[in-house]
Amino acid sequence: MDLQILIGILKKNLLTQYRAYPMSFFVGNILTGLYTVLGAWFMYKLLFEGRLSSDFFELTKTNDYMGYVIVGSLTYLFVVRTCLNVSRSLITELREGTLEALMLAPFKRVEYFLGNMLVQTMTTTMEIVISLFIAIPFGLNLSNINLSGFIVSFFIALYAFFGVSMILGCIMLYTRDTYISQNTLFAFLFLVSGITFPTKYLPEWLNICANFIPITEGVILIRNTALLGMGIEDLLYSYMKVFVLSTIYIIVGFGVMKRCEEAALEKING
Amino acid sequence: MRAFIKTLLAEIKKQHKNYFHSKIIYISLFLWPLLSFITTYYSFQTFDLMKSNVIYITQGNVIIYLLIGYMVMSFFRSLVQSAWNFSFERVSGTLELIYLSPTNRAAVLLGNAVASLFESIIVMLVFSVFMLILKKEEINANVIPCVVLFLIIMVMASLWGMFLNSIFLFSRDSGFLFTILEEPMEIFSGVKVPTELFPVWAKVLSVIFPLTYAIEGTRRVLLLGSSLYDIRNLIFISLIIISILISSIMIIINKVEKHTRMTGNLTLF
Repeated sequence: MDLQILIGILKKNLLTQYRAYPMSFFVGNILTGLYTVLGAWFMYKLLFEGRLSSDFFELTKTNDYMGYVIVGSLTYLFVVRTCLNVSRSLITELREGTLEALMLAPFKRVEYFLGNMLVQTMTTTMEIVISLFIAIPFGLNLSNINLSGFIVSFFIALYAFFGVSMILGCIMLYTRDTYISQNTLFAFLFLVSGITFPTKYLPEWLNICANFIPITEGVILIRNTALLGMGIEDLLYSYMKVFVLSTIYIIVGFGVMKRCEEAALEKING
Repeated sequence: MRAFIKTLLAEIKKQHKNYFHSKIIYISLFLWPLLSFITTYYSFQTFDLMKSNVIYITQGNVIIYLLIGYMVMSFFRSLVQSAWNFSFERVSGTLELIYLSPTNRAAVLLGNAVASLFESIIVMLVFSVFMLILKKEEINANVIPCVVLFLIIMVMASLWGMFLNSIFLFSRDSGFLFTILEEPMEIFSGVKVPTELFPVWAKVLSVIFPLTYAIEGTRRVLLLGSSLYDIRNLIFISLIIISILISSIMIIINKVEKHTRMTGNLTLF
């Protein structure tokens, strides 16, 4: 691990974030989370007055629908932000014109992306903390939280998000498109990863799809520790599963990324 | 009148060439709304559908109920996107060219709105009609109210698009449009939860979106079999909205014209 590169990237990205991007970006993200929660609250309180379907408890082991949706949407916010910042890092360099300079420098991919990930985790955690306060009036209840379990789940989930964002990063760099690829992926993940409803409701083939996306299990891990208070020992199998799946994503991602970089550099002027 | 129609057709053609130069457009026009619709459908499954606070929702017709919301919303939302695209006319300098030519401003705005309205909704409309036929036993509707309502919604949506476009004659900051009109419009105009169940503060917000009345009317006509007489209030409100939109568009166009002639500058904000 080359710390110099990691710290360099960290400094550079924090400065960019601070100087080049306005607060509106930050506010926009919190608003997106708020709207999802508000929409769910309308459905839960106004339309159905808390009458959940009979299998919701069986599938989720909780009757706390608002907690379920809030934790889900906040985790989803994290996924989106990771993809926006980590996947887009190289293509942003391409657009800002720094990719060539970056490639000439003796930088290492792992440290480069980890640096990006660290910065993004710091800023998003801040957003999430603010969102948590906003979510309290909507009925978020974290009194059952198992702190040690939650911390482990959080890091495992971050690892999963990192894996997914590497794959998206390859697609973006190769197609040199961010608008269509990212938004299609976000809409798809929102559907299949069990953000606002258990994945068991989906048709069988989509359910199988969801099982191969580490985010699905990541969201469950966060929920189980934050809402149901499960500990590390209850979730060992899930941890393993997410870890193995994400590792595959990361290995494939880094492998393909190298190819995509070559393609991107070739097409840089065309 | 001939000049008006000529400009209108030219703008429609221009818009079409601008948009459909690549097939990828279908992803954002069709795939995204579809994914979002399916997600909402499944998130409704977490509730006991037989016990909602709206009498006409049942296990069988919930998909139609939601589809109506999403279909009508896609009419209005495509116009938000087209208005956002219209703001690029300023960036690329074509707005100045349009203003230098002796064209009718209203025709340009209308052409832009109409083109994106019909082109963006056609896929969604085909899908919806297909779904409605598939679930036709759940539908309880008469032909005449359907046709009349459809026409009113089309007029209202086109004017809404014209109005949004006309705002961009003045302003170059387009970010706010999405902040106000994307998700809030979805939540507050009753796409998922009918506005009649809203608390007062939310009802006040819902009143400003023309989409609210369009969705309400379509649900009543398609699910409850309401006649034109039953929805006369909604039609009346829609007509008022239409006249408000027309007059504000005219006022904005006049103001812009005066302002540009005085200052030679297209930007007010």
